[in-house]
Amino acid sequence: MNGYAGKILSLDLTERKVGIIPTSKYQHWMGGHGMGSAIFFDLVKDKTIDGFDPANVVTMMTSPLSGTLVPAASGRTEVQGIGVQSYPIGWFTRSNLGGRFSGMLKFAGWDGIVIQGKADKPVWVDIRDGEVRIRDCAPLSLWGKETWDCQKAIWDYVLSGGKYGDWNSPFGKEGGKTTQRPAVVAIGPAGENLSRLACLIHDASNAAGQGGFGAVFGSKNLKAISVTGTGQVGISNPKMLLATRLWQKENYAFDLAHLIETWGSFQFQSPPAPIIFWEKGRPRIGQRPQACLGCHSGCRARYKDATGNEASCFSSVFYWDAKSLDIQRSASDLINRYGLNAVEMCFGLLYIRLLQQSARLKTAQIPDCPLDFSKYGSGEFVEQFVKMIAYGDDGKGNESQFGRDVSGGFVRAAEKWGRREEDLASGILAFPYWGIPIHKEPRAQVYWGYGTLLGDRDINEHAFDWIKWEASGAKSSGREPRISAEEVVKIVTDKMVPFQGDLDMLDFSENNIYSEHMARMVSWHRYYARFWKQSMLFCDSRWPDFVNIHRPDKIGSTGIAEPKYIKAVTGKDFSFLDGINLGCKIWNLDHAIWTLQGRHRDMVHFVDNVYEKIPLFNVEVRNVHMPGKENGKWDYYGYSRRKLDRDKFDEFKTHFYRLQGWDTSSGYPKRSTLESLELGYLADELERNSKIGKED
Amino acid sequence: MNRQKEKNTEISRRDFIKVTGTIVLVAGTRWNLSAADEIPPSDGYLLVDIKKCQGCASCMLACSLIHEGVESLSLSRIQVMQNSFESFPNDLTIEQCRQCVDPPCVKECPVDALEPNPKYGNVRMVDREKCIGCGTCYDVCPYTPSRAVLAADKEYKDELKSRKCDLCANAPFHWDEAGGGPDGKQACVEVCPVGAIKFTKEIPEQKGDAGYKVDLRGSNWRKLGYPDK
Repeated sequence: MNGYAGKILSLDLTERKVGIIPTSKYQHWMGGHGMGSAIFFDLVKDKTIDGFDPANVVTMMTSPLSGTLVPAASGRTEVQGIGVQSYPIGWFTRSNLGGRFSGMLKFAGWDGIVIQGKADKPVWVDIRDGEVRIRDCAPLSLWGKETWDCQKAIWDYVLSGGKYGDWNSPFGKEGGKTTQRPAVVAIGPAGENLSRLACLIHDASNAAGQGGFGAVFGSKNLKAISVTGTGQVGISNPKMLLATRLWQKENYAFDLAHLIETWGSFQFQSPPAPIIFWEKGRPRIGQRPQACLGCHSGCRARYKDATGNEASCFSSVFYWDAKSLDIQRSASDLINRYGLNAVEMCFGLLYIRLLQQSARLKTAQIPDCPLDFSKYGSGEFVEQFVKMIAYGDDGKGNESQFGRDVSGGFVRAAEKWGRREEDLASGILAFPYWGIPIHKEPRAQVYWGYGTLLGDRDINEHAFDWIKWEASGAKSSGREPRISAEEVVKIVTDKMVPFQGDLDMLDFSENNIYSEHMARMVSWHRYYARFWKQSMLFCDSRWPDFVNIHRPDKIGSTGIAEPKYIKAVTGKDFSFLDGINLGCKIWNLDHAIWTLQGRHRDMVHFVDNVYEKIPLFNVEVRNVHMPGKENGKWDYYGYSRRKLDRDKFDEFKTHFYRLQGWDTSSGYPKRSTLESLELGYLADELERNSKIGKED
Repeated sequence: MNRQKEKNTEISRRDFIKVTGTIVLVAGTRWNLSAADEIPPSDGYLLVDIKKCQGCASCMLACSLIHEGVESLSLSRIQVMQNSFESFPNDLTIEQCRQCVDPPCVKECPVDALEPNPKYGNVRMVDREKCIGCGTCYDVCPYTPSRAVLAADKEYKDELKSRKCDLCANAPFHWDEAGGGPDGKQACVEVCPVGAIKFTKEIPEQKGDAGYKVDLRGSNWRKLGYPDK
């Protein structure tokens, strides 16, 4: 079928063998996450293994839309496997990264990569179209290099005497040509040293940040994967693809001649302005927007001094107390170069800073902290902090138990220090679920917290987040929101098939957040994300297009646009609802894996702090406003200053499990449900492990 | 910008074709171009702003899409090349065909496969039926990378064929019924999200880059926080 390369690259690092898995075997999952989960399920027989076990399998999947003109859907790569970040169990998890890796992989003739085993010494993988080599790191001295230097060394090697800026032939004079640099995914020192905060970095700042996949790569002695593709992706209806792209540009994207907004946001219509949160804003120096392959609106930038290149979102938030903008920008580069998870670095730094401020950092159970807090805010301090996590030492090359502890993750460190329960309860250790740092305020944006808790990681899916920004921004500045709560609820819920028309899905009032309506909302979000975002790889920064203030009716293109693109690329008639239904199936597959790993309803709870206290600090805004129906009236209301009710949340879980067709007493999947989804083989495996749910 | 041509002592398949093509040329009828001024100028040109480009390569994807019906960076007639780690503006360049007033590719093609096409405003176009894949156009293009793209062509049993920018005149998968060329629509211009590519009918200054690499930013670009320098 068009849109697919037709084959998936299988790497056995233990045996140093390269193989091929026909894409057709998994094509009914369409791509990305669905394919990755299915491959993982087939290849990893014992789902209870640790993420560092050589038997762990990591998949890096593309979608049929990768490498095509579909806007903000061409450049992302989905990464899956058993992670090492979450606590107490390293869940089967996911992350993904943007840039151009997925497109290059498709142009090289591959729909994905499956990584198995562990190399006997450090290696990197050199993919040039169909030619794949597992190479030792030693000749290029790659092991030990930070991520940027590693990529540059590989670029030079692959070039083998040519010159970037000209046509090069990765196979010699008569082979295919390209002017492009290889797309390389690399780990830094953090991954090599098995820090659970380690991530995968591609180009300057594309990161698969969550899950600790950098450490999983490191445990496999895998430093980097480089891909150069000179081939092509077949398109079913080229005219339709270009016409659809132009239709969406004309009707739904920003218009440079008539700018409505001048800042970047997580919206389809956002202009190409970097989504950065440096405390003092962007530097007033020469810069350009920078976009992933095929994207209509870049969300990062490159700068005249090359500092902070491509940083965005949390990689820019990191080190918010820096004494200057330049120090904060350099800090963004540091975490990219050493290959670290920006979110956990943020909230981990906050944690030890709060311990230090309250004089608890020097208690007996905590090893000596090598950081000098009199230098907090300086470049010297942050460099030592980053290196301390990356190397698991004092950040200056010397042994440090403290460094070793925090390199293994802040919740695990707190556990070792006997502080986990106390610090989670007080809120200074802001990791409200699964040992994962907070991102959105779970008391207000409950769908975010619920989705994370019912899943495997901070969901980091911004579909409904724009509502918060619009409402909270309007309330805090005293202006009228550009769209009323009732209007936004109507537009969004109309698109939430098959639950469309249930307006109460977006009622965030106290009366409704534990209801069946909210269970539908969370379900829809899980299904939508699993398929459209993580399998078709529509970018979270730009999709879905729910509310579009560029249009008179404010109705975005989601639901209409996505199936058009699938039709144009693959020729397949595949509706938006088909995607939601397949997302439900993928969600069930993932949940079956988590169940096999040990998940039970009883462990699905927030930390006590979320039930017992209002937030210790504001995550993003002073008071998160969301739509709510209070006394029968729709409006935006502030919901940060509340606690969640433990018992009512338990009732919510019952609603949610019932809606999924899972056993409400254990949360285990039921055979009848899995068979209705043509997943009977999952039921067989669950039954063999005594994890099958009871039928009603 | 003069291209340093590599001298290769090995005789490759391409070299062989080039030699045999020249023999055909001598034996056959050569289009009677005797001086540069006999080649009429193109009615259209692409201009780019390398400081505005966001590096999404949508222009490249659109180019191969409407010409070959596939997505391929290697088949694109316009090339965006970038380096994530480099400083602005040296981190990126766009290299497009200049539709030269004095086009070496046209003058040197040994089989007259590359000619100004009067039907499409004298855009310099490749006739793939005639093209023998010798690579002369690729080699004589004075710019780096060569604006002629030499690649295997599935329609010709994977024989090497040249392609170059035709302003979308001969684009079998053109989305617009009116088609492309100097009087139609060019895919790269239409698809560029930030307006970093512009079509003009005026002949740009031929000497140096200034005529082709221009400032398309405007005041609204500054409103997005992008300084001029």
